Order: sequence, then C-alpha cells, then structure tokens
Amino acid sequence: MIIHHPLLGPRDAAEFVYLGDASLIDRPDWQAEDAAQAFHAYGYLRDNPAGAHQELWYHEQGDRSWLVVTRDTTTHEITQVELARDVARVRGRDK
Amino acid sequence: MPEFSLISAPPLAGYDETLGGIRLRAPEGLAIVSIALPLGGEAAAEKAVKSAYGAALPEMGQSVLAGDARLVRLGVDQAFVIFDHTEPNAEGVVAGKLKDKAYTTDQTDVWVGLEISGAGCREALERICPLDLHPDAFAVNQAARTVMEHLGVLIIRTGEAAYLLLSASSSAGTFQHALHQSMKNVS
Repeated sequence: MIIHHPLLGPRDAAEFVYLGDASLIDRPDWQAEDAAQAFHAYGYLRDNPAGAHQELWYHEQGDRSWLVVTRDTTTHEITQVELARDVARVRGRDK
Repeated sequence: MPEFSLISAPPLAGYDETLGGIRLRAPEGLAIVSIALPLGGEAAAEKAVKSAYGAALPEMGQSVLAGDARLVRLGVDQAFVIFDHTEPNAEGVVAGKLKDKAYTTDQTDVWVGLEISGAGCREALERICPLDLHPDAFAVNQAARTVMEHLGVLIIRTGEAAYLLLSASSSAGTFQHALHQSMKNVS
C-alpha cells in the first residue's frame, strides 16, 4: 500500500504506523457538564463504516508527522491524505 | 581528581570496504546536531540559520551544503546540521551560531554514518531501500528518512554516485551487514 504524503510524495505503508479513527482529534472539553458521557464516547464508541473512513496514521520512519488518511475500508483505496495539524486547525484548534 | 581520560569509540570506526567497484565506509568525525524550529518563531529561526550558514534552510526532502556543514530538512519544524567536528561540543557550536533562536540537541552519538559510493552503488541500495533512487526522482542533495532492513535510515544523495546513510548507532553492525550483503549480491 502506498500513502501519498502531502509533503513527501508517495511512501510505502511500511514507514507508517496506524492509530485509528480520526475522531480522536476531537478531544471533548473536560469541564463540560456531560464530560463523563463525552469521554466515554471518545474513548470507546466508534463507527465501523463499510466505505470511506478517516483515520490517523503516523509517519514514524519518515518526517514524524501525523496524517489524516481517508481510506475506503472495502477496497483500501486511499482518496485523500492531509496533515493532521492542518485538519485540527480547520476544526478550530490554535496550534 | 581520579586520573583517567575518556576515549572516543565510535561504532564501525575505521570500516572501509570495496566490493565490485562499490565502496562502503564509515566517515570519521561526523557531528550531528538537530535544530527544532520553535512554534511561532519559525521565521526568526530560519533567518538565524541563513545568517549563520549563508544558506537558507532547504525545503522538506532537500539538503544544502553550506561550507563544511550540510543542512538537512527532515520535517516541517525539524532539521539536522551534519558537519566535521571531533570535539564533544557540537551542540554548543551550533546553538552559538544560531544565537539560541532555535532548539538544538546533540545527536552525534545516537547515529552511525555510512558512505556508499561507486558506479553500481544505486543497484546495491535499490534492493533494500523502498524509495525510488533514480536521479529523476532523487537528485543530488535530496534527502529522505525511510526504512532499510527494518532499520530507520536517513539517506542523503551527496553526489552523482554517492550517498550518505545515517542509522541508529545501537544497530550499527546490523545496518553495515545489510549493506555489505546487498553489495555482495550485486557485484
């Protein structure tokens, strides 16, 4: 499997490690009223789609960047690769 | 004061081998210092690098030779300075040159360098390196981190038929063996 790194171009999947669902970027607010509920969902509840899935990959044997990879779980086709920090900034993170 | 002195014992010291026109050798006296660009202070750090070395910090995947030092961009906010320096104060030298505008750490002892050169060296590398090393895809001065024989490697193309490879010093012997074997297989 080849992952097209947005900065480095095509790289072999052996250089990467997989973390999981990209929803892990959206850590809940610990001071919210429903924090316990929200952290339960954040820690344990995942969608299991047959189709497009956004997931976090780490380029460990490369530039050590976190990526958000959009992959079709039925065909393993990768349709989009973005830097996780760009995705987080779009979602309102400041760093 | 106890009377003792420390002796430098780099891994693969003195190693130099030629097989079928491909030369593999461990360069001596390489110092490696990492530069991390501070969040929010990237522009100031890049300016400091430029005034210290007379060369701008290269783009990702590129390196530049500035005097006796090679600047290698490894990531969005990380670079290496590789230069000949035998004293154990490489980090201080680089930090002084950059006037503390970037975070620096000494990486000299955790890496081992191997220089592979000669007309057929690309054939030997092709067998263990997952990257496309054809000159059209990996030109002189390009650099990349990748894996060879399960070991993390930083590969820099230093000449038409010359590459500098850096890997973890703790597995230096395994790394040297992998390259030696690949050279043997193509010669």
